[in-house]
Amino acid sequence: MKRLVLSLAAACMAFAFGVPAAQAGQGDTLAMVKERGRVLCPGHNGSYLGFAEVDDAGNWKGLDIELCKALSTAIFGSPDKAEIVPLSWAQRFPALAANDIDAIIKVTAWTLGRDTEIGLQFSRPYLIGTTQLLVTKALGAETAADLDGGSICVGAGSATERQVTDYFKKLGVEVNLITYENTNEMVASYFAGRCDALSGWGPNIAIRRASAPNPDDHVFLPDVVALEAEAIAVRQGDDQWVDIMNWLLSALMTAEQFGITQANVDDAKANPASPEVERLLGVTPGVGDRLGLSNDWAYNVIKTVGNYGEIFDRTLGADSPYKMPRGANALWTDGGVMFPLAFD
Amino acid sequence: MTDMLRPPIVDSSPLKRLFQGMFGTPLNAAISLVILGFLIWLVPGFLRWAIIDAVWTSNDPELCRAPDAGACWAVIKARGRLIFFGVYPIEEQWRAILASIVMILTVILSCVPWFWTARRIITTWLVGFTTYVLLMRGGFAGLDYVGTSSWGGLALTLFIFAAVTIAGMPLAILLVLARRSELPVVRSLAAFAIDLTRSFPLLTILFAAAVILPLALPEWLSGDKLFRVIAAFAFFFGCYQSEILRGGYQSIDKGQSEAAAALGLSYWQREFLVLLPQVFSRALPPTINQFVITFKETSIVSIIGFFDIIASTNAAIGRGDWVPYFVEAYIFAGMIFFVFVFALSKYGGYLERRPSVVGQQR
Repeated sequence: MKRLVLSLAAACMAFAFGVPAAQAGQGDTLAMVKERGRVLCPGHNGSYLGFAEVDDAGNWKGLDIELCKALSTAIFGSPDKAEIVPLSWAQRFPALAANDIDAIIKVTAWTLGRDTEIGLQFSRPYLIGTTQLLVTKALGAETAADLDGGSICVGAGSATERQVTDYFKKLGVEVNLITYENTNEMVASYFAGRCDALSGWGPNIAIRRASAPNPDDHVFLPDVVALEAEAIAVRQGDDQWVDIMNWLLSALMTAEQFGITQANVDDAKANPASPEVERLLGVTPGVGDRLGLSNDWAYNVIKTVGNYGEIFDRTLGADSPYKMPRGANALWTDGGVMFPLAFD
Repeated sequence: MTDMLRPPIVDSSPLKRLFQGMFGTPLNAAISLVILGFLIWLVPGFLRWAIIDAVWTSNDPELCRAPDAGACWAVIKARGRLIFFGVYPIEEQWRAILASIVMILTVILSCVPWFWTARRIITTWLVGFTTYVLLMRGGFAGLDYVGTSSWGGLALTLFIFAAVTIAGMPLAILLVLARRSELPVVRSLAAFAIDLTRSFPLLTILFAAAVILPLALPEWLSGDKLFRVIAAFAFFFGCYQSEILRGGYQSIDKGQSEAAAALGLSYWQREFLVLLPQVFSRALPPTINQFVITFKETSIVSIIGFFDIIASTNAAIGRGDWVPYFVEAYIFAGMIFFVFVFALSKYGGYLERRPSVVGQQR
């Protein structure tokens, strides 16, 4: 359905109006954002738990929202210049093309089709969306291999079903897949003990676990069944804007790697541990000039929203209701696949 | 009417009549028993869930998780403001409350016959909508600017409904006049526009207005997404409503128009003084129907990224601890729809009892 609406929109654009897909000139986006005084990011039509949800007071929260606030801070020095535009999934690409938003920060997987066909350019991934397995502690399974002879709840005809099948075939382990058309039904069955493991996209599973009768009774297996890379999508042709996304994400990860947090960033700036930290925090100027930002943009971002690990923990991880393990999203130094780029 | 023609007076208490009606014949008795059994099976369980075991006030979702807890109405207490006002900033919430009251008042006043003169109704609408937009948007006299992307909840639903129907109704009248025009070009253009619009689903039209139109229009012409969508929705409403009015026209004898012409009335006098008042009278039930449908259809805008009452209900249950209590939140949203739609139906009933729906009472 999502695909259908999208292709319909693309077809309308192409045939009826002859408008090309999302395009921007070098430097256009930053200039437009600065002139407007606000940076526009997508929210959700409702809540997308963990990524774009609404708190009791009506403020947007979540991983994608925090990244938008980081972007706003990098450009304007304040998170309040981030304007969240409620959007459905189908709308995000046309909305980007129509300048209704400045960047798609909406758990969007980087795929060949999106990269080449609808005029998008992707930043480096900021989240690895892993397909994972949730089991009860009582089961005592340590890895997926321990599920031999067990049963797994999986959405019928979903990508997960294919991924789980392939993964267990590769492991050489016999499991029984129980398929469900309806996600709520699938989750309820798992909680009722109909199957030994629940499979699905990691953040979704973590969110479902949070609503279990006893969330602590359930644990993730460490196995990564499959993964997709979620990245920020922007209009093609504006390399400066892509650079800003890439170095914003890198700054968050660099800060985590050097142990710089929201709490200690002032200390780190006063007594920089290395020349790279000096450059990152703007003690040695240069990190901003080359991106069209102020030289202390990274300092402001860390001071305002914290480093990558802090953002993750607050929205999806240990400090959130969802308690999703870092897993593949940990830094390479902690066994994950996230790594900073060098600030030279 | 003479006494001879009156039906025989049934001398029985209401209770007896009820019993007669329910168990008078074996078939009626069987149907009644099945329904009663169903109610006995359903109602106590529902009451226990909805009232007796319900958690009413706690702000702590943990209480709702107790195994014997019923409905978790606490979700409404904790998250209800989202359902009413969406992501409108909480410090500015009084503006959203005031704006909603203004919008409800505008709708109520538009329903009062005293306001049905061109000058009064147009003044009401201009004042109502301007006040709403100024209050919600702010950006003057010390009020913070709040963009339409932060408008939401019942406040937004009411605005969309009122704007669509109030802009759509005059449009419907214009369209039906055009479609009945004696000028072939005007007539066929109107017919084409109506048929074209009706052959697209509402969602497609709104999606095109929200997402595709700004790609085609120059920046200065495309305006705010919300107002583009309202304009498209109003046109859609106007097309359907004009066909309802056309049905009303067809039920009026041709002699009415001819007699009015013979009396020397002009075209506009014929239409507005003679024909349209009768048309509205005849077309009242389907017109109220169309209003009710439109009120409910406003929730389609949640699909194109507006924070209407349905989207904000989704947001209300979309936060960690409150996820399992979607049934309560949807029941609450359903009750809000019920209140408005029921009021509309009752108003329709009142209009039908008036001797003349639109014109002066004699």
